[in-house]
Order: sequence, then structure tokens, then C-alpha cells
Amino acid sequence: MFLSGVGGELGTLVASLLEDEPWVGALAGIDADPPRRRLQRTTFHRIHPDEHDRIVETVTAFDPHVLVHVGVWEPDARANPAAAAILTDQAATSILGAAAECPALEHVVVRSGIEIYGRERGALTRPDESTPVFPTSSWGRTVAAIEHTAARVGERVGVTVGAVRLAPVLGPHVPSPLGRLLRMPAVPFSVLADPPFAVIEDRDAALAIVAAARVGLDRPVNAVAPGAITAWQAARHGKRLSVPLVGPDWRVARALSHLFGAPIPDHVSEALHRGRLADNGAMRDVLGIVPEATTIEVIDRLYNWPSIIRRPARVQVA
Amino acid sequence: MAPPSRRSSTPASKVVNFPVRRSAEIASDAVGRATSGLTASVTRLTDERHGIVDDWGRDPALVRRLMTLSQLRWNVAVGGDQRLPKRKGALIVVNARPYALAPIFAAFAVSEAVDRPVRFVGRPDTAPIGPLMRRIGGLLEHPDEVAGALAAGELVVIGAHHDTRLRQVGLVDHALVGAALLAGVSVYPGATSSNPIGRNARVEIGAASRSTRKRRGPLAELELADRVREDIHRMLDEMGNLRTGTPIDWLPISGLGGA
Repeated sequence: MFLSGVGGELGTLVASLLEDEPWVGALAGIDADPPRRRLQRTTFHRIHPDEHDRIVETVTAFDPHVLVHVGVWEPDARANPAAAAILTDQAATSILGAAAECPALEHVVVRSGIEIYGRERGALTRPDESTPVFPTSSWGRTVAAIEHTAARVGERVGVTVGAVRLAPVLGPHVPSPLGRLLRMPAVPFSVLADPPFAVIEDRDAALAIVAAARVGLDRPVNAVAPGAITAWQAARHGKRLSVPLVGPDWRVARALSHLFGAPIPDHVSEALHRGRLADNGAMRDVLGIVPEATTIEVIDRLYNWPSIIRRPARVQVA
Repeated sequence: MAPPSRRSSTPASKVVNFPVRRSAEIASDAVGRATSGLTASVTRLTDERHGIVDDWGRDPALVRRLMTLSQLRWNVAVGGDQRLPKRKGALIVVNARPYALAPIFAAFAVSEAVDRPVRFVGRPDTAPIGPLMRRIGGLLEHPDEVAGALAAGELVVIGAHHDTRLRQVGLVDHALVGAALLAGVSVYPGATSSNPIGRNARVEIGAASRSTRKRRGPLAELELADRVREDIHRMLDEMGNLRTGTPIDWLPISGLGGA
């Protein structure tokens, strides 16, 4: 089993769950950053996505049966949109390309997102996996490109490819532009629309990816927590000041929010204006899992997660 | 930074293993689709949490307020609601007149009668009307949207095309009826009768419409749509005209009563 993006919060969580799976043999991971917590039996390779040769060398030397590709950069999560798009593209091309060279490869799972359906006018309220892909944000186009690359690799090499389309992932350590925005003291919302959106907790997302690897997923599956919430309702849950905005106000709000450390990328802006829901029926039917937390619970936890806890050193050395 | 309290990291405590998953996938997919919304569909109006929206963006608190308001305008008598499934999804087709908002008042009335959320089809996707109608249970007029809701176990009301003639029913969109066939749920005819100057209104749900012939192709939805239309027409004939109790009833105008 080879896992890309093991240095991210979600990747580390997936790795720790895979380590406990009895059917997983050797486990190796790759990322530009080290894992966020101690992993017991995962061999970690710290390689930057632009080091194609080293990535190919490492992946082909390991020769995995299953490749789980979680190495994606959401815009304004850990990198600005332009850098995130480049890093994601580099990682996808190198890792999926390297996997195609592995003779033992049987199965590929890629992390995707429900942003892939897009929210153009007339788009379905709750698209399921059979809905045509029509991304309308840069993040949506990025995950569509990953799925496309993985599907091409699958066709060429003759392996099954599954895509786990995650709702916006929130967790105590997950860098999420949506989560950051909702935790601001004042939360903007569209007064004319205030549409509903759904999210998923990081652990449920990781469970979905692990289940996809276990069942040999060969199709896309939406991984979305049940329920929905609007930005205004989320702000009320978090006892935040909700700021009603119309049209040009958003330009100012976006600039201010960026200034205060919570940039609003286009896919988050789209979710706040047009909503972001998806059918999660296949999660239970195909992956055999039910999300442990509903969207409301995830949002409630979002406001209960501590931001920074400062612990004084036990021994003062300076 | 201290790690916040997390649940046990025991792997996949809720993961169900499917040893014969592959072979059973197609069958379980179909069954799963039809039953995937059971938990949502058994939600009672009285059990709905306020302050949040449901999976489709419907706001229970707003719906409750509008239902109360609509009772000022309409006094709706609902009949035949016992024919609707208790848990599964169903498509209800009602007759409609211009500006009568028949699908909306029918959805509210049936919702109250069966104590379940009921959606209606025909919301626009433009702010602010579209989002407002989504808050009160509106769905886009798109077969895939309707099929998704029906497969998720929702009750959905659609209106036939407008017809201003007395007790006449407009065309029924066969693509939306096809969505019900795709989702494997029944289609029920609903006759609505309202009065532009009075409060009394009536919604009568008939027995599930069934096509007389078995078809494998798209003719099934066309014939079922025609059948539903005929059933609604027959029900309207049985209902007769509504009476206002005023001399207007003596006038030969078609705008009152009936459809």
C-alpha cells in the first residue's frame, strides 16, 4: 500500500487507520511535509512534488498493490490558489504516473471533492455520482483533473480506479478555508440566498478513503455527512456575528477576510452563494460506512475545538 | 498545541465488511438507492429540529410559519392521504391553475396530513425567489433532481401544466413521471380544488396510477403520465364544483371551483 499526501492532516489520519487494518501489508507514504503524528509502521519519504525522478524511483521501488492518492492542496488551505494548483498537478502527475509503472499495481483510490459537480445555474441541489461533472471553481477543476488523470492511468494499465468525492473536510487540525472563515468573529453570509452546504469530519473522510481501498472501489463515491447548514445558521451555532452581504459587499468582505487571515477562495465563495450539497447514499451502499458525525455536529465541534492552548514548559531552561 | 479530545482511533468501528460485495453490488445498489432516505423520510414534522435546514435545504421553522400563514388564506381538507406510503418516497401529481399555487398549498396540506416533509417541484434557481422556495421545500424542475429526492424516500408534489378550463387537467410532464419510474416509487394522482375568493380548498389523493400495459422503454413514462392525467380528471369530475354560497355560484364562469 502506498499513500501520497501522508504529511497532511487527512493523509496522516488515513495512514494511522491503514496501519490498524489487518489486510494492509507494507505501508509507505510520501509528502513534502512530515506526518502530523507518530506513525508506527509507515515508511515515510519526504519528497517535494516537483522531484519527479525521486518520486518515480521511490514508488516503483516499493511497487505497491494499492495506491491511495491524498496529496492534494486545497486553494487557500496551506497554499495560495496558484501554488496549490501547481503543487496538486505536479503531485498527481508524478505519483499517478509512477504508479502506472508498477507491475504489481491493482487498484488506485484518489481523493476528490464534491466541488467537481459545480454549481452553475440549474445545477442539481443534491447531485449523486451519476450527475455529469461540470466544475465551476478552480478547486473543482483541479479535482476533476485528478480524477481524469487517474482514470486514464487505470485504462492504460488495466487497474480499477475509485474516487472519493469529499465534502469540505473540517477537523481540529485540518487547514480548511471554510472552517477558518466560519471561526472568524464575524461570518459573512449572502442575505439573498444563504444556501445550505454540507461538510464532513476528517475522521469520517479518512474512514471513507480506507473503506474505498478495502472494497476496491471502482467508481466515484460522494463522502458527505448527513444534514446541511447555512452560513447564517453556522454563525448562530458558533455565537458569531453574522454579517449580511449583497453583491459588491462581497468584494470588500473578501479583502477584509483575507487581511484577517481567512481568505475566501472561489469554491468557498461559491458554496456561500450557491450552496454545496451532495447525495451520500452510495457511501453506505458501496463503501459500507455511515458518517459518525452529521454536518451540524461537525459545525458544532468546529466551534468547540480549541484554537491554541499554550502550555508552559515543565522545566524552564532559559 | 494540545491534542483535543477525539474519539477512539479504533479503525472503522462502523465499517461493515461485505465479503461478497462485488457479486451483490448491482442488486444492493438498486435496493440501497430506494431505501437510502429511510431515516430522512421517517422524520416527523414535529420532530424536526428548528434552526437548521434538512438535507435538501428545507427550513422546518420557516415551513411551519408559512403553514400557519397559509391557513389564513386556505382552509384545506385533505382526503386519501392514507394511500401514501408511510416511509417510502412517492410522486403526487396535482392539477393546477394559473396563480393558484396548487403544488405549494397541496404540499403544505399533505405534509400536515401525513406528518412528513413534502417537497414540491418548480422552484427557480435565481435569488431571492429560488433560495426562498428551496427553504420551503422547493425542488428544481429537473428529472434527476426529482429522481434523487424520490430515491431518498421523499414525498414530492408536481403540478400538471396549467389549464384554465373547468375540471380540465393540463399535460403532465412525462420526464418527471419517468423519474418516479426510475426511482421505483408509485405515482399518485391528486385533485386540487380552490376558490379565488373563498378559503375552502380541497386536496384529494387517489389510488396509485398504474399503466395498463407493461413497457420496457420510454413509453412506460408517457403512458403513465397520460394515465395520471386521466385519473386526476376523473377525480375532479367526482369532486364537482366548489360553492361559494353566494349568487356568484349561479354565474356561468369557469374560474370558480373545480380545477
